[in-house]
Amino acid sequence: MIFRRLQLLFVLMIAIAIVLPTSSAARSMQDHEAAQDAPVSDEREADEHVEEGDHEEEPAKFDAVHHNSDAYYLDFSPMPKLELPRIFVVRRADGEIGVDFFGSTHAAVEAGYVAEIEEGSHGGILDAHIVAGSGKILVDMSISKHLFFAWLSMLIVLGAYLPIAGRYKKGIGRDTAPKGRFHNLLESLVLFVRDDIVRPSIGPKADKYVPYLLTVFLFVVTCNLIGLFPFGATATANIMVTAVLAIMTFIYTMFAGTKDYWKHIFWPPGIPILVKPILIPVEILGLFTKPFALAIRLFANMTAGHLVILSLIGLIFSFADLFGPAVGFGVVPISVAFALFIFLLEILVAIIQAYVFTMLSALFIGMAAVEHEHHEDHGHDAEGSLATVEAGS
Amino acid sequence: MEPSGLAFLGAGLGAGLVALGAGLGIGRLAGPAMEASARQPEALGEIRTSMIIAAALIEGVALFGLVICIILAFK
Repeated sequence: MIFRRLQLLFVLMIAIAIVLPTSSAARSMQDHEAAQDAPVSDEREADEHVEEGDHEEEPAKFDAVHHNSDAYYLDFSPMPKLELPRIFVVRRADGEIGVDFFGSTHAAVEAGYVAEIEEGSHGGILDAHIVAGSGKILVDMSISKHLFFAWLSMLIVLGAYLPIAGRYKKGIGRDTAPKGRFHNLLESLVLFVRDDIVRPSIGPKADKYVPYLLTVFLFVVTCNLIGLFPFGATATANIMVTAVLAIMTFIYTMFAGTKDYWKHIFWPPGIPILVKPILIPVEILGLFTKPFALAIRLFANMTAGHLVILSLIGLIFSFADLFGPAVGFGVVPISVAFALFIFLLEILVAIIQAYVFTMLSALFIGMAAVEHEHHEDHGHDAEGSLATVEAGS
Repeated sequence: MEPSGLAFLGAGLGAGLVALGAGLGIGRLAGPAMEASARQPEALGEIRTSMIIAAALIEGVALFGLVICIILAFK
């Protein structure tokens, strides 16, 4: 049964676990090389103070981009932040390579790591770039906010679907009708993915790809929706998470590719020989732009919605700063109404983008998996066979 | 004017133009698709699938433009 392959989630989990911290290491290297720009938006949120002692005096800034980006703590403001473990693969001063594990960023700093707080940044140690006191951090394997929420949504999907999978193995739902509200609810999603997305776009070999695409759909939709909960973060608003998903689709497309598919890419039939040098590079490029666009689309859609909500809320503080507190209070109803509207739109977008991601993955796999030539018409076959039957009789 | 200011201006204008182009493209695509599915509701599934493929291609190009704008704005 298709659910057996939910194990794919584990593969995804490992892949994201590897790629996500590496990316943050790469990013912090970039930060190291070129000093980062000042925070993009400068709306002030006067009543939120930073916990760290050295920044007690100035009010914390409200930074929408920063709020959406990855971090090494869970933000439960106004309650204290919950720091996540830091894991560093480090080359020590004597050239030995080791792994350091700390419960929190503060513990790492106390143990000799140095937090480089940027000039003019409003965050404390938590937002700073951590460097080794002696030696060099090779890979920053720390658990980050987005990784935490990616794992959380994987656990939710596994927790919801593994018991259901067990019931299917016993025959409940396969031989009989599904029992219970929960089972019925979840089966409707499975059938939606199989009958409305995968089968129409892949064709006869569709059922082989249902497990992967179902896993992707459930993971993405859970990630997207978890970001809309209070204190939640959207793991799919991180380009690395979407990139891993797109790479998985790319690998599936590679393995699904038939002889015809590769022929169409490397030696397109029915095209003048002089056009081929132009077309072949375009086709090869198209191989990579498809998953690239897949990753960017999900990432951009999930990031943009959150930024818009936060910017609308930020307008209150901008207006209060510019024209005084009274105007600020006046803007509140308008801002909140618009933010609520965008928020409701976000719920829709979260589901639509999961659908689009799965749909396009299925289409790319389907394009690669087709057996026959595109221009062959099934009608001719039918006519031909009819003619033979007539001739035979 | 500072060069970085010009870069921000270019990024902003570029993002706007990208949105304009993608909006026009997808609008031209979605309108006829709606009409077609109203005329032939039984072909709804096929029309929607091919509409999403075309929309994805248009959106893909728009996203490439957007990525360049983002690079321009953050570097």
